[in-house]
Amino acid sequence: MTTLDEFLDFVSRELGLDVTTHDADRNVDELPGWDSMFLLTLVTALEQQAGRRVLLADALQASTLRDVHKLAVDA
Amino acid sequence: MDRRDIHVLAAGTVLPGPPVDNAELTRRFSMPPVWEEWIDTFVGTRRRHLATDLETGQVRWSLADMGEAAASRALQTAGLRAGDIDLMVLSTASPDLLMPATVNVVADRLGVDGVPTYQLQSGCCGALQALELARTMLSAGGRRTALVVGAESCAKHLDLTVDVAGLPASEQINGVLFGDGAGAVVLGTDPLPGTPVLRGVTQRLVGLGREPGQLVEWFGRADRHTDRQAVREDYKAIEESVPPMACEVLDELLDELDWKETDVDFLLPPQLGGRMTERIVAGLDLPGATEVSLVADIGNTGNAAPWFQLEQALSRMREGDRAVGIAVESSKWIKAGFALEVC
Repeated sequence: MTTLDEFLDFVSRELGLDVTTHDADRNVDELPGWDSMFLLTLVTALEQQAGRRVLLADALQASTLRDVHKLAVDA
Repeated sequence: MDRRDIHVLAAGTVLPGPPVDNAELTRRFSMPPVWEEWIDTFVGTRRRHLATDLETGQVRWSLADMGEAAASRALQTAGLRAGDIDLMVLSTASPDLLMPATVNVVADRLGVDGVPTYQLQSGCCGALQALELARTMLSAGGRRTALVVGAESCAKHLDLTVDVAGLPASEQINGVLFGDGAGAVVLGTDPLPGTPVLRGVTQRLVGLGREPGQLVEWFGRADRHTDRQAVREDYKAIEESVPPMACEVLDELLDELDWKETDVDFLLPPQLGGRMTERIVAGLDLPGATEVSLVADIGNTGNAAPWFQLEQALSRMREGDRAVGIAVESSKWIKAGFALEVC
C-alpha cells in the first residue's frame, strides 16, 4: 500500500467510503459520512496493515486523506 | 389541581465492582492502543463500573441487586423504612427479566408490599418520567412517601468473546459510553429539614416522524438466533439534536417557573459522555450555575444518571438554592427536565 491510489482503495474497502483520487485533497470533514469513528477505524486498519503504531494525535493533524496516506507511509 | 409541595427527602446510589478505565477496557477487548486514545479524545469518559467481572465474565450484580442497594441507602438517609413507602416506581432500559418486573423483585427484597408499583421501560428520560409519575400520585393525595429507582446494566450486551473491531461503529460506541449502576430517590409530602421542594417536572415525546436515535432489541425463543444488531446508536443524530433539545428544556422550565438564568445555582445536565456533556453545558450557557456531572467517571448510567447527580446536588444545596436537571432520550426522542428549590 505504497501509492495513493492503493491507499484510497484501502479506505474504500475498510470504511465503505466511496473515495477517488479527486477526494484525496478534500478536507476529511467534507467527505460524506466522515467522523471520528471513521478516523479510529482507519488508524486501526493502518496499524494492522503497517504492523506499527500510528498515533491518533498525528492522525488528527491530518486534514486530508493525502495527509493520512503520508502519515501511513512515512511512519 | 392539588398544588401541595412534594419534597425530595433523600437519594442513594450504588456502583457495581471496581472502576474500569479506558486502558483496561481496551486491553480486555484486545483493541489497539489507539482505541484508548480515541475514547479519551472524542468520548471523554475516563472510567465506568460494570456489573460483569471483566476477567471472569461472571455477572456479579443483577439489576435487582443494584436497585435494592440504592433504594436501601436512600431510605436509610431519609430515616424511613419499607413500611413507610406508599408507592414505588422503577425505570430502566435493561430489566433483569420482562416478567416479573424488576421493580417488584426490588420491592420484595426491601419488604415493600400492598402498594402500587410501576416499572417504566425507558431510556435516559425514564428517571424523570418516574419522578413525574410519583410526584403526580403524591400530589393527588392519600399517599405520603414514594420511592423512585433508576437502574441500568450492560451485562446482557457485554459479550467478552466478540471481535469489537468487527462491530459496526453504531454498536462499538455503546461499549465505551455506558456504565452500570443504580440510583434511588425518596419523595415525600412532609419535608425533612433542608430538603428541597420539587418545583417542576416536564417530559414529553418530540419524536413525531423521526427515526429513532437509539435502538435496543430483545430476543425470545423464536428469534434468539437472529442476526439483528442488538444495540444501535445513531450517534451523529444524537450529536446534532441533543444539545439544542437540552437548551429547549432549560428555556421551558425557566419560563414555566418564572426563573431567570441567573437564578439557577446547580445545573444537572444530560450525561451522554464526557465530551458531549461539555458541549451541552457550553450551549446551556449558565455561567453562574455549578455543574453537577459524573459521566466522565462513571459513564452514561441511563436511568440511574439523574439520581447520581441529584445525590451530589442534595449534599451541596443550601437554603435558597435552586437546581435544574435536564435529560434527553434519543430512542424515539424525548426531552425532560426538573427543578428543585431549598426553601
